Amino acid sequence: MTPHFGLPEFGFLLRGLQWTVLLTLVAFAGGCTAGLAVALLRTCGHRGVEWITRIYIGIFQGTPLLLQLFVVYYGLALTGLKLDAFVAVAIGFTVNASAFLGEIWRGAIQAVPRGQTEAAMALGLHYSSRMRDIVLPQAIRISLPATIGYLVQLIKGTSLAAIVGFIELARAGQIVSNQTFQPLLVFGVVGAMYFILCWPLSWWGSRMEARLALASQR
Amino acid sequence: MQDNILIEMKGVQKWYGGYQALRDVNLTVRKGEKIVLCGPSGSGKSTLIRCINRLEAIQQGSIVVNGHRLDDSIKAIDVVRQDVGMVFQSFNLFPHMTVLQNCMLAPIRARRIGKTEAEATARKYLERVRIGDQAGKYPAQLSGGQQQRVAIARALCMQPKVMLFDEPTSALDPEMVKEVLDTMIGLANDGMTMICVTHEMGFARQVADRVIFMAEGQIIEEGAPDAFFRNPQHARTRQFLGEILAHH
Repeated sequence: MTPHFGLPEFGFLLRGLQWTVLLTLVAFAGGCTAGLAVALLRTCGHRGVEWITRIYIGIFQGTPLLLQLFVVYYGLALTGLKLDAFVAVAIGFTVNASAFLGEIWRGAIQAVPRGQTEAAMALGLHYSSRMRDIVLPQAIRISLPATIGYLVQLIKGTSLAAIVGFIELARAGQIVSNQTFQPLLVFGVVGAMYFILCWPLSWWGSRMEARLALASQR
Repeated sequence: MQDNILIEMKGVQKWYGGYQALRDVNLTVRKGEKIVLCGPSGSGKSTLIRCINRLEAIQQGSIVVNGHRLDDSIKAIDVVRQDVGMVFQSFNLFPHMTVLQNCMLAPIRARRIGKTEAEATARKYLERVRIGDQAGKYPAQLSGGQQQRVAIARALCMQPKVMLFDEPTSALDPEMVKEVLDTMIGLANDGMTMICVTHEMGFARQVADRVIFMAEGQIIEEGAPDAFFRNPQHARTRQFLGEILAHH
């Protein structure tokens, strides 16, 4: 006899949601850290280094995320490094996010007017202070809408982790649906969960964008 | 009187790709001197002062500032930038910091002085440019003239030996030009060494020890303001003065 969609099934979905949130947080935190490094290297003024980071960004933006996850999970296993599914997808998403966030922030760093850097140099401020005190605070503000937009993409994109057997929200929905034969109901609930996660962020992002547009009019 | 020389440029040449921006520029500035640089746009006057604090690199010649020769070493550039203050046409205040923070940042980070001392210095110079009551505001809340006076105070907080002004009044509404010029005149009267790129010929007459005219990357003519304005030697200078003085 097939079970109906009830509390235990809902609980299973909630645990999937938990993993989705956790994976997103880890990937976003890792992606931010590595992405900052990518953005700084990409704008450092050294030709060779800028080219290497450009290639790095090109590779991870130009190949499917799915493929990257395969390489980390199965590829590294072939070299003898057997990773737990969560660790593997966390690494995959982190590296991928670092390329996208790095490129978003590269643009934001370059959007800070040149005069800001010149004024800082004329005052005798070194690179580290110029970046930390002058350029990055302004660049982060500029990039906030795009960064939030990427975070929303990342939340939804974590469903790809199912491909290496990691049970997050979308995969959990598939399992429950197969057990209950109530795909419309189950995927409706799964969709609502994603929506509750993503919509407030999108809303916040577009409000930020409107506020920035207003500020730049002044 | 070798000791009195603050800036010495010798045989300076600069190219942007194939375009030569500075041609064999020689310039000596003594302590306390006020110099006004003028010339048509594209004549290289901004480029010249931007070479003095190494915002632009030169390809040939030498620049010595306060006894330190500017080369590619980071240390030399550091030392020189501590001695040279600069005010830009577009103010370039840091928009995410208050007026006070704008003035305190560089002394704390580059001179490594304490917060209390930096704040005292900042307030002193903000008073001096008569804007002390705006210390807690953000740049966007100030008028153009006020912003430029903050930029002057910010540069002074590093206690520079020389101040460079790159068309400091060109971006201002006419009614705000005077307050900035008055601040600069006050600075000049206090004995600050200054190099000003400006078209304010009234200012040049009043404070300059020397007026230098540039065209096509070269220094064409220089002299005391009286002689320079009354009796310019070169046709190119006469033409330029005719054009800018026609409206005054």
